[in-house]
Amino acid sequence: MGSVRAELLKLKRSSSWAVVVALPLAAVASGAGNTVLAGEPLTDGWHTLWMRVVVVYGLFPLATGVAVLGSLVWRADHRGGNRNALMGRPVSALEAVVGKLAAVAVLAAAMQAVLTAGVVAAGKAVFGLPGPLPGQYLLISVLIVVVCLPVAALQSGLSMLMESFAAPVAVGLAGSVGGLLLVLLRFDAVSLAVPYGLTARATQVGTGAFMDAGTVTVGTLASMAVWALVSTVLVTVATAALLDRRDAG
Amino acid sequence: MSALITTHGLTKRYGGRTVVDGLDLRVPEGCVYGFLGPNGAGKTTTMKMLLSLVRPTSGEVRIAGRRMDRSTRRGLLSEIGSLIESPPGYGHLTGAENMRLVQRLLRLDDGQVARAVRTARLQDHIDRPVRTYSLGMKQRLGIAMALAGEPRLLVLDEPANGLDPAGIDEMRRLIRRLTGDGTTVMVSSHLLDEVDRTADVLGILGGGRMLFQGTREELFARSVPDVLVDTFEPERAAALAGAWGAVLDAGTVRVPGLGERETARLVARLVQEGVDLHGVRRETRSLEDVFMDLTREEAL
Repeated sequence: MGSVRAELLKLKRSSSWAVVVALPLAAVASGAGNTVLAGEPLTDGWHTLWMRVVVVYGLFPLATGVAVLGSLVWRADHRGGNRNALMGRPVSALEAVVGKLAAVAVLAAAMQAVLTAGVVAAGKAVFGLPGPLPGQYLLISVLIVVVCLPVAALQSGLSMLMESFAAPVAVGLAGSVGGLLLVLLRFDAVSLAVPYGLTARATQVGTGAFMDAGTVTVGTLASMAVWALVSTVLVTVATAALLDRRDAG
Repeated sequence: MSALITTHGLTKRYGGRTVVDGLDLRVPEGCVYGFLGPNGAGKTTTMKMLLSLVRPTSGEVRIAGRRMDRSTRRGLLSEIGSLIESPPGYGHLTGAENMRLVQRLLRLDDGQVARAVRTARLQDHIDRPVRTYSLGMKQRLGIAMALAGEPRLLVLDEPANGLDPAGIDEMRRLIRRLTGDGTTVMVSSHLLDEVDRTADVLGILGGGRMLFQGTREELFARSVPDVLVDTFEPERAAALAGAWGAVLDAGTVRVPGLGERETARLVARLVQEGVDLHGVRRETRSLEDVFMDLTREEAL
């Protein structure tokens, strides 16, 4: 798809990469640093480290980070004549929206890769944990990338409609807080249905934190992934329909 | 010459404000169409409606006989290149990377991209980041991006805005080169001088309405220059000629909008009243004056 390839080219030398690297590394530094400073041992090895880094990261910074990425990806198109040029070409609204979603998804996947690599590096270098990171966390990392898709689609759509950098980030921040509250107040079904809640829930899979059962089952992973993909399609189609009806400024 | 763009009663309203009012546009194929009007006249909104970036409140746009709307825009836009408002371009990418974006979006071959870059004379700067470009270079990149798909129609909104005289001249030559290749170019400006020497047909917009559409010669023919009466008694002559709308202008009596027969009547009246005349002439006017008069009348 031409628009996807074009959007990926725009990521070259993009400032989005700073967020992709800084946000997960800050989460790793915070989780590992607190453990060292508190002098609390990693009683269950990799599992404890994963919980201290990734669960906290999923409660709040992850969805906000995706919101920032959505705003960054649209920012250049809100400048100068880029928006008119984008819509003045023979490209359908759906192609344009999917292109943007692909760009945010690639960045979100890279952010998760940095987070996982950071956990491995901290586990080995700081805590000297034995063996490799258990395979289930790699599977959960893939799930986290998938559940970022509806947030990416929603934030990309908001950035497109609001034509602003800060406003969609503020909405993302509010959504993250809402998702956090849904988890803390243990609204099980609602937290899974709402994109911001779903990211928090996916980062808890296998940890036993909050409403999580503490086991990783194919059913849990598949149901979260399928709902994430379905909601991504719904949000993407709705965004494309809005873009198609919308006049240029 | 067949029309590539036609509009019928094209109107755009935002709330109670009418920005474009019942426009009947006719852009012949293969020409340079100079779309003129002061800032805020509705030129950009019209161009956006031609590209279906903005939907008309009423009326229709036809490109090559086919109706342009949201359902047909994708097909029609494949034959149109455009540069609306500010030039496009991603500052963090080089000129070549910006061109590659368009290449990927429109699935073009390397030859098409290279030809567009050469036509816009950008080949010496193509590997530099766009954020280091001058405004003129950014405009040329925008035109190269618009040209890459080898469009039949090029819609350029104020492409000379902010350019120095040399840049404006280069833009004129570029537009002429394009029509030499058979491309129809619609170019807007708020300054007649920018398009006067390039345009084959002029459309003048004021307050959202078409004030004139035709050739340069037709525009001149439409204008009636003021009659200037030179006399030793200008105050008395101006008072006598008051019925014709005469005004005193630096010791000369100026009478606007007077036809040949009325001029004869005025002169006869002044002579009859014993006013010593030593000259009656038509004011020499430039096309710019005609344009300014047209647009000023509309502003009033």
